[in-house]
Amino acid sequence: MRAVRYFLLVVTLVVLQTALFPSLRLWGAAPDLLLVATIAVAYERGPQTGAIFGFVAGLAIDCFLASPLGVSALAFTLVGYGFGVFQGGLVRSSRWMAPLLGGLGGLVGGFLWVAVAAVAGQDGLFTGVAVRTVFVAALYDAVVALAVFPFVRWACGEPEYAHR
Amino acid sequence: MAVYRPDSRRRPVVVLMVITSLVLITLDRRENGTIAALRGTARDAVAPVQDAVDGVFSPVSNVFDGVTKVDGLERDNARLRARIAGLEGKLSRERGIADEYSQLVRLLDIPDVEDVTGVVARVITGPAGNFERTLTINKGTGQGVIVGMPIVAGDGLVGKVTEASRTRATITLIDSPGLGVGVRTEKSREEAVTQGRSGDRLLRLGFIDNPRAPIATGELLFTAGVVGSAYPPDIPVARVVRIDRNRGDLDPDILAEPLVDLDKLLFVKALRVASTNATAPAGG
Repeated sequence: MRAVRYFLLVVTLVVLQTALFPSLRLWGAAPDLLLVATIAVAYERGPQTGAIFGFVAGLAIDCFLASPLGVSALAFTLVGYGFGVFQGGLVRSSRWMAPLLGGLGGLVGGFLWVAVAAVAGQDGLFTGVAVRTVFVAALYDAVVALAVFPFVRWACGEPEYAHR
Repeated sequence: MAVYRPDSRRRPVVVLMVITSLVLITLDRRENGTIAALRGTARDAVAPVQDAVDGVFSPVSNVFDGVTKVDGLERDNARLRARIAGLEGKLSRERGIADEYSQLVRLLDIPDVEDVTGVVARVITGPAGNFERTLTINKGTGQGVIVGMPIVAGDGLVGKVTEASRTRATITLIDSPGLGVGVRTEKSREEAVTQGRSGDRLLRLGFIDNPRAPIATGELLFTAGVVGSAYPPDIPVARVVRIDRNRGDLDPDILAEPLVDLDKLLFVKALRVASTNATAPAGG
């Protein structure tokens, strides 16, 4: 049942990312919904689940990007694992955790994606405009995290163990 | 919230995923047909849902555009009115020349870009990512759009098809950093190659045959259409807007603005040109 929810989560976010948000850009940047969802899954379920979800979500969005297949999968896997480890050190949750993690994750994930894509052969990424785009996208990620994190919480279901 | 307990059994899974990602990147860079088919299948599968979402949310995106781009629209309006006034006068003078040219072309049986047929398509969406300059159109291999086809709009060249599934195709725009277009200048007929620059809509002119050629601001650039080129000749591409000739530099720094507004396209045309490097899918 949880697998079905994860599937619905990924498909819904892919459709929104490809059909809606290209038209809702701010200063040329759109939020990265699948990256925010990866961070949310890592926060809810830990590093291994976060990494696996990041891999699948990255592959899904890679099918719609001009960059080589696997770039987003690699970047999101590392972000999912890293944030899964990081959240273990958080002693309490807060209503600001979603935008904070969404924005921070958008920043780290954005720069990581640029680095992986550049190594994979994409041109023109190490520019001032790319840096500005990552920052603006991270701010946008912080905003959309307010909606994505509850959706992910629904997909994850009851935690196997919960400490609040 | 999950509590992390270090577990060495988890790391092999993560390492396996990292290795798989690297393998996929390598295969895709080598233009693996299986990966292209996978992408095409994913796009075709999501296409009906995308169309439904686009139909529901297009009023929202129109309102968003109206709010965020109203200043730009007013400036464009004023600029275009002034340009129309100048062009109307020029059109009158050039009507006679155009008539003579048409007669000559017919007599000599020279193929013209106006003779080229194509597939008209609607632009569905812009790029899903933040670091690419692409468009998605609502026609694919099922309607005759194949990889390599040049794409034009009313004012000139838009780009070329770089991916195509059965119902969708992706166009890489001419201002994308990875796409170069062979051009020749309007008056001096010098050949060069345009290069897109990340985050900048202007094109840089590079590989100029004669760096000392008298290229002037305002001069038009047309596709050169050399043998093996992806584009037929004489399609308008851009207009030179800035030339910097610094002492000591071998080549001048020439910037050109695409004639087509690549951010406001609604309909485009994919040209069927026999001399292109277009690739038909296996099995049609």
